[in-house]
Amino acid sequence: MLVATAGNVLVWAVWMVAAFACLASAVAVVSFSNPFYSALALIGNLGSLAVLYLLLSSEFVAAAQVLVYAGAVMVMFLFVIAYIGPRSESPWAGGPSWQAVGAVLAAAALLVEIIVAIGLKAGGRLAHSPDVHGSFGSPAYIGRLFLTDHLLAFEITSIVLLVAAIGGVILGAHSRRLPEELPHP
Amino acid sequence: MTTGAWICLVSPLVSAILITLGGTRLSRRTAGYLATLACFVSFSGALASFVAMLGRSGGDREVVSTAWTWLSAGRYSSGFEVLVDPLSVMMMLIVSGVGALIVAYSIGYMDGDPEERRYFAYMSLFVFSMLLLVQGGNLLLLLAGWGMVGLSSYLLIGFWHERPNAIAAAKKAFIMNAIGDATMALAFFLLIKQSGGLAFGVLNAHYSSTTANLVALGLLGGAVAKSAQLPLQTWLPDAMEGPTPVSALIHAATMVTAGVYLIVRTHAIFEQAPKIADLAAGLGAGTLLLAGLIALVQVDIKRVIAYSTMSQIGYMFLGAGLGAYANGMFHLMTHAFFKALLFLAAGIVIHALADEQDIRKMGGLRRLLPGTYWASLIGSLALVGIFPFAGFFSKDSILAAAMAHGTYGYILWVAGLTGTFLTGLYTFRLFFIVFGGEPSAFVREHFHALKRDVVGVSMGGTVAVLAVLSLFGGWIQFSPWWHPVDTWLRTVAEPLVTPKSWQEWTSIGASLLLGLAGIYSAWLFYGARRVAVPRLDVAQRILERKFYFDELYDALFYIPAVLLAKGLYVLVEQPLVRGSVTELGEDARDVGGLVARLQTGLLRTYVLAIATSVAVLAIIFVAVR
Amino acid sequence: MTGPGVAWYLGVAAFLFATGSLGVLLRRNPLIVLLSLEIMLNGANLALIGFSRNFGNGDGQIFALAVMAVAASEVVVGLGLIVALNRKRVTLDVDRLNRLRG
Repeated sequence: MLVATAGNVLVWAVWMVAAFACLASAVAVVSFSNPFYSALALIGNLGSLAVLYLLLSSEFVAAAQVLVYAGAVMVMFLFVIAYIGPRSESPWAGGPSWQAVGAVLAAAALLVEIIVAIGLKAGGRLAHSPDVHGSFGSPAYIGRLFLTDHLLAFEITSIVLLVAAIGGVILGAHSRRLPEELPHP
Repeated sequence: MTTGAWICLVSPLVSAILITLGGTRLSRRTAGYLATLACFVSFSGALASFVAMLGRSGGDREVVSTAWTWLSAGRYSSGFEVLVDPLSVMMMLIVSGVGALIVAYSIGYMDGDPEERRYFAYMSLFVFSMLLLVQGGNLLLLLAGWGMVGLSSYLLIGFWHERPNAIAAAKKAFIMNAIGDATMALAFFLLIKQSGGLAFGVLNAHYSSTTANLVALGLLGGAVAKSAQLPLQTWLPDAMEGPTPVSALIHAATMVTAGVYLIVRTHAIFEQAPKIADLAAGLGAGTLLLAGLIALVQVDIKRVIAYSTMSQIGYMFLGAGLGAYANGMFHLMTHAFFKALLFLAAGIVIHALADEQDIRKMGGLRRLLPGTYWASLIGSLALVGIFPFAGFFSKDSILAAAMAHGTYGYILWVAGLTGTFLTGLYTFRLFFIVFGGEPSAFVREHFHALKRDVVGVSMGGTVAVLAVLSLFGGWIQFSPWWHPVDTWLRTVAEPLVTPKSWQEWTSIGASLLLGLAGIYSAWLFYGARRVAVPRLDVAQRILERKFYFDELYDALFYIPAVLLAKGLYVLVEQPLVRGSVTELGEDARDVGGLVARLQTGLLRTYVLAIATSVAVLAIIFVAVR
Repeated sequence: MTGPGVAWYLGVAAFLFATGSLGVLLRRNPLIVLLSLEIMLNGANLALIGFSRNFGNGDGQIFALAVMAVAASEVVVGLGLIVALNRKRVTLDVDRLNRLRG
């Protein structure tokens, strides 16, 4: 599996850096007490993920990740965090409660299980990846798939976005005054 | 003939319906007039039937007129029909005639009562029910009328329903009547089983002796309950809680005599069950003695008359049981006259003394109520059976029939004669105490005479009419010489015994003698007060407690029933109800509470639960596949 | 394919998912919970893209794009809730938001 060629070494090095950044930033998100720092760590996480997508020949998805996720969603997050103001909690104070122990166990179990499951079930199929054509992961490729095989998913996703937009407007609107607060004649 | 009968039957029903529907749109007096008018129309209908029947003879006198088929089920069918025959016409005349007079009297007696309309509606209902009973063309209609008179009696006894005594008395009457209804229903079931129907014709069929005995026993049970004979007699004195005209009409003249009518109507069965007929006669004799004795110590004016009714019906049962049907019916008729007279006169006394009924407070009313005095005198003499008043003619022929019945008959004869003495004694005890001597202190304080308006006319007038009837009504039949009543009823019920001439005269003489002796004794004790009333404390107590029948029934039936109910409640209902329903509810609540604790409301707990379940499921999926 | 095999990417994805779930379970600030949720979604996305590359099939990428769109919508609604809560002066602590307890 480890074929050490020159191109290979470069890929491996990039992979190592990106993967490490990804994992570190994920741990950082979970650990910081200041939400602002957590959001910044998440931006880092998203960026390293985009690099990983590039390594997997999915250029469009990588671009979308940076534009949509890191560019729009995280900016929104940062706006809200700034609006709400400074708030910090000390998550690790007071020793582990039974909840914390349970949480750690559950998360560890999930991790182990995922790995075991994939390892058991995948068999030898994960060892060898086929070569893909050059336009794999290009916008044209994705676009054609969206508009032919997965048209339904495309349309439904647009509806979901519409609903979310309406929901956002409603949640953000000023609440109507209750009848008893109205001035009496 | 049948048209008259239908008019007779339907008229009081129409009145009852109109008064009920009219409600407060009718004035109270109008309701009274309406009811009285209906009863008089009814009487004229009965009269028309009677006259028409006179024009016929023999078997022609029995006609059944069917209005429609009322009930039809399988092989059984029953029409809504009236039977017009000599017996039913006789009863129709008595019921509608005496009924009309008493309803007219009620206009005066119930004047001023806020619920007068309800009273007249009930009275009309009663007259209709009683007529249905006597005119019913088959046994099913008779039973319907039987039940309805029981209902009307309940409604009227409990008329003043704010009084707890009245309610209790009404319930007692109804429940005891229901016992009789049950036995009658059983008898009818047997008849249906054996003959397939309840038309009067099935009575003439021949039955095995067991069947006949059982049917007769069931019928006798009903008769005994309705007529307040031993052993179901305890309800009648309590029924005096109702208004006096009610006591007069229902509990003297008509309803309580329905038992006698039943026996005469179903005499064919009783003839097939001679032991039961003897039992009926025996119960009659026992009752007449019992009631006569108890009446000696009663202090309520209406209760004395009630016990006297019980006693006289004993005579009628005696006659009917022995097979002297016409004599029993004749005594029924004369008794209706003089007993109603006595009750209505008592009602005038009660009204005049501001509703006081205790005779110990009365006295010397002779000069204050002269008309009533004479009416009561006539009624009392008729009751004791003194010549030439009504009771004389009817009672003695029953005693004569007893003589013709063998040894058992002689025992009954002696009982009957003793009863005559007792009748004289208690009747005139009442008479002398109430009317004789000087006015008592109570009387001087509370007496007020009847007004001379509608009230006075209605009450006084009807009493006068009944007095005339009690005077001359008996002259229809004098057994040794002329007996049209016997001939009249011969086609319906052939008498079983024909007493000989010497038996007739002996009975007449003995009964007259003993009656006069009773009157004389009463005069000694209560009239002239020459001799002190003999007192035996033990006997006094037994009589005052009415031979402890109420206590006996209480112990035999009421207390066990109450104990059973309480026991079931504690042993069965509480644990079952608590165990099943209540505890189920509590258990459901507890389980719900347990489950509710899972809903902490905390997001983190829920997510932890999801994560844990995903972990567990992942293991399962991997392991299974 | 040069470089690490798909299995390595899947391992990273698994780790991301576990870390995200740890954050969701342990943190009390709802904003951080939402951020951790994003991490979980990204872990799933990485797995999808990895498999898509492994089988040469574009469907995984389509799926990942749809997941991204849905994640964005969900963040909009979640942040809207948080802003509304903040406006009502409610404490932003998921342990205190238990009015729906049974």
